[in-house]
Amino acid sequence: MSKLLYLMYLVLVTAGVTFLLRAFPFLAFGHTKNGRPPRIVSYLGRMVSPAAIAMLVVYCYCSYFQGHTLPEMNYGIAELAAGIVVVLLQLWRRNPLISILAGTALYMLLVQKVLC
Amino acid sequence: MTGRLWKAAFLSSLPVLMGYTTMGMAAGILLARNGGISCAPLWGLLTSSTSISGALQFILVDWARNQTALMTVALLTFCLNIRYAMYGLSLLERFHGIGFWKKLYLICTLTDETYALEVENKYPAGESSLSYCLLVAALDHLYWVVGVTAGTLIGGVLPFSTKGIDFAMTALFLVILTDQCREKSNRVPAAIGVASAVIARLLFPIDKMIIPTMCLMLATFLVCRRKLEPLTEEIAK
Repeated sequence: MSKLLYLMYLVLVTAGVTFLLRAFPFLAFGHTKNGRPPRIVSYLGRMVSPAAIAMLVVYCYCSYFQGHTLPEMNYGIAELAAGIVVVLLQLWRRNPLISILAGTALYMLLVQKVLC
Repeated sequence: MTGRLWKAAFLSSLPVLMGYTTMGMAAGILLARNGGISCAPLWGLLTSSTSISGALQFILVDWARNQTALMTVALLTFCLNIRYAMYGLSLLERFHGIGFWKKLYLICTLTDETYALEVENKYPAGESSLSYCLLVAALDHLYWVVGVTAGTLIGGVLPFSTKGIDFAMTALFLVILTDQCREKSNRVPAAIGVASAVIARLLFPIDKMIIPTMCLMLATFLVCRRKLEPLTEEIAK
């Protein structure tokens, strides 16, 4: 598949899935007046949301080590340190922007200047 | 739409203006530097205006570069954004009876931050709550598109190394997870998510771990429903 075609599909799939998720409650339960979803749906929804984000954190961390040995990655010191800074800042200041920018800046500093 | 309404909507959306332009710019820079695509600003504009999803905008850069299988793309998008469906569930009654196009726009623009502002709903007395929500949604939408597109333009000409900037995505997920785990009822499912992902990664290569993880998670939720459901509800009360 050519890159151009792939990118067009990429936009379609990401936008389409995101839209369907946003619209799902309205499509499924919007027609009934004061419609409530079945218990199993709200149960699974409540559970999947935090579980999926947790899964993505694991996925991100795994992707850093893909194709590298542990010593090559300095045993993940940079990834762990930056991650801990992000979580602690978020617990303390509750400001996503500060947490993300500080963690990313620290990580860039570590991999570009300190651990290279 | 009166000036008072505009002013109120703009003031409410100010924190989002700061957040979206900065994060959008970071995502845009990443797309231009690491996406391996030509005409990055065009793709930045297209993706940011059609999906309006922060985490997606970051992770999409990897997909563009690696031409990740579209099935994986769909599943990961699903995992990433399933929380939007939860937001919708809580807005069903609020949005009941709104005209088709206005409702469609409110649905398309439902992000974490816009949802928070719409729930807060601080419209000025005597003005329409619906107009206020539409205005806030449109402003947030605009901030995001401008941020991402500006980032893709800047990214092409940045004079310093951006190595490591991809950590912004991991940081974003960590922030969302940290906030979710403030609620006690979210901690057990989050732990199940971590365990499922680790088990799946041990058994499968990284590019094939998402589907097994989802299956493990769902199976655990369904098998342990009797134990888990009362637990989450009790704590939620």
